[in-house]
Amino acid sequence: MDLVRHPLPGPAVPAFAVALPAGVVTRIGGRDGVPVPDVPARGALRTDLDVVFRREYQRVVAVAARVLGSRDQAEDVAQEVFLAFNRSSVPAAEAGGWLSVAAAHTALNLIRSGRRRASNEETAATAVPLAEPDVAEVVVTLEERSRVRAALARLPHKQAVALVLRHSGLSYAEVAAALDLSPGSVGTTVRRAESALRKELTRHASSH
Amino acid sequence: MRHPTDGVLRRLLDEPAGVAEADRRHVADCAHCLAALAATREDAALVGAALSAEAEVDVPAAWARLSTAAHASAGPVRTPSPARSARRGRIGELVRRPAVAALAFGVVLAGAGTAAATDWLQIFRTEEVAAVGLRSADLVALPDLEAYGDVVMTGDDGLRPVPDAATAAAESGLDVPAVDALPSGITGEPEYQVGGEVTATFTFDADRAAQAAAEAGDTLPPPPPGLDGASVRLVAGPGVAQVWQSGSGAPGLIVGRAVAPTAFSSGVPFETVRDYLLSLPGLPEDVAAQLRTFTADGSTLPLPVPSDFVTTSTEDVDGEPATVLATRDRVFAAVVWVQDGEVTVVAGALDTGEVLEVARGLR
Repeated sequence: MDLVRHPLPGPAVPAFAVALPAGVVTRIGGRDGVPVPDVPARGALRTDLDVVFRREYQRVVAVAARVLGSRDQAEDVAQEVFLAFNRSSVPAAEAGGWLSVAAAHTALNLIRSGRRRASNEETAATAVPLAEPDVAEVVVTLEERSRVRAALARLPHKQAVALVLRHSGLSYAEVAAALDLSPGSVGTTVRRAESALRKELTRHASSH
Repeated sequence: MRHPTDGVLRRLLDEPAGVAEADRRHVADCAHCLAALAATREDAALVGAALSAEAEVDVPAAWARLSTAAHASAGPVRTPSPARSARRGRIGELVRRPAVAALAFGVVLAGAGTAAATDWLQIFRTEEVAAVGLRSADLVALPDLEAYGDVVMTGDDGLRPVPDAATAAAESGLDVPAVDALPSGITGEPEYQVGGEVTATFTFDADRAAQAAAEAGDTLPPPPPGLDGASVRLVAGPGVAQVWQSGSGAPGLIVGRAVAPTAFSSGVPFETVRDYLLSLPGLPEDVAAQLRTFTADGSTLPLPVPSDFVTTSTEDVDGEPATVLATRDRVFAAVVWVQDGEVTVVAGALDTGEVLEVARGLR
């Protein structure tokens, strides 16, 4: 399964493709000279998009939500990822893995960029239903969430993606294919990520 | 037997069937491994809880949103003739985009007088760029240039990768800008790409324009005498780009340079063409007015940007005025400027401060 070779353009790329002068616009839509055949005509939807969307949307949002801690943001990422899928020639049978990997990459890039809007954490607070809207609890939840995101952002990218995909239910074989790892080393990669994340979490907890 | 690795223990939690029988038997009888397995399980559970997030979704509402976005981002469906498709590549597609068509119109609308009837006369040379803000809806609604005549692209073979900066310089004839220091988060070596000179020639066809307007339910303003069959030509490139990929597959950083566009005409009064093209249905009046102002000095290249996604400002790069673009979600930024007939752009998944730092540090 060749999950990561298909291009995953970000939301702003089309805008800049329009804005950049013709002579310096790169082939943003394709990497490594990989052609993207059979993409739908402009404005058209892939005929299989509806089926794939209804089957996978919930799972794709869940992958992004694990990274972002906010359902609203995760839905934004999922929309972006499905738009990329619509422009791609990824076979429907491989869509599930491709979409999950794309969602993990995109969401991790979002937190790693460190440039999320200041309101994002507030959005996270309102997006996650809390049993008791107690102010102290909200503060603690926000703090924990932002700590998890910060720790994720500090992990090596491959470790973070492997961790998120594994906790999203992808098999070792699927994670291995997505990250070009041997299935045997997926366990090691995930274990390292969990160990690093646990250290971050317990270090902070013990300092309180 | 030596103890199985941490990775094997980790997999034992999720996929015991994927672990060798010998390893499983060892762990079952080894106090050391059992303790390690317990710690592994604890960490996995802790991290699993930390990564949990509520993700209940309204799938029908999400589908409606996606369908709308897919259509809005892609624009109206058209079925170009095979002949036209064959000669149109990536850059051709770009140049045909409505906003860029407006740009192409804009550059030929400089204050030159009547061009010679038989020769291509240069009437515009880019000396600076300035952003023209258009809402995305306007961009989509703008008429396609091909609705009003023939667009012929030559040299539109797209960009091709080359192995290194020296080859890029040799093939493009341009100095390849060297980045002084990469921004945080961007690492590794760039891919070098070069593209040749691209020419877009637009020949106005009054019949086709009238038909397109009628289909859209608009009335075309009567074309002025002499416009039917007249041509304008936009020439840009060659160009060179350095692209650093980010993990998502989107470019992390792009540094591009190209010979800036120039425009030529085959013999029509430019003010007439300008005023006519800017009066066509679909172009908002305030944008048309802005384009008229830009083109008055014959050297400002209008850069159409979707103002609902992108903010623009002006900065200074090595003494030249530079246009700074940033997406409103602050994920992407770009800076564009012109110096000595060459346009340079620095863009990427960066903030405006970072692209400016790269731009000012180019050698």
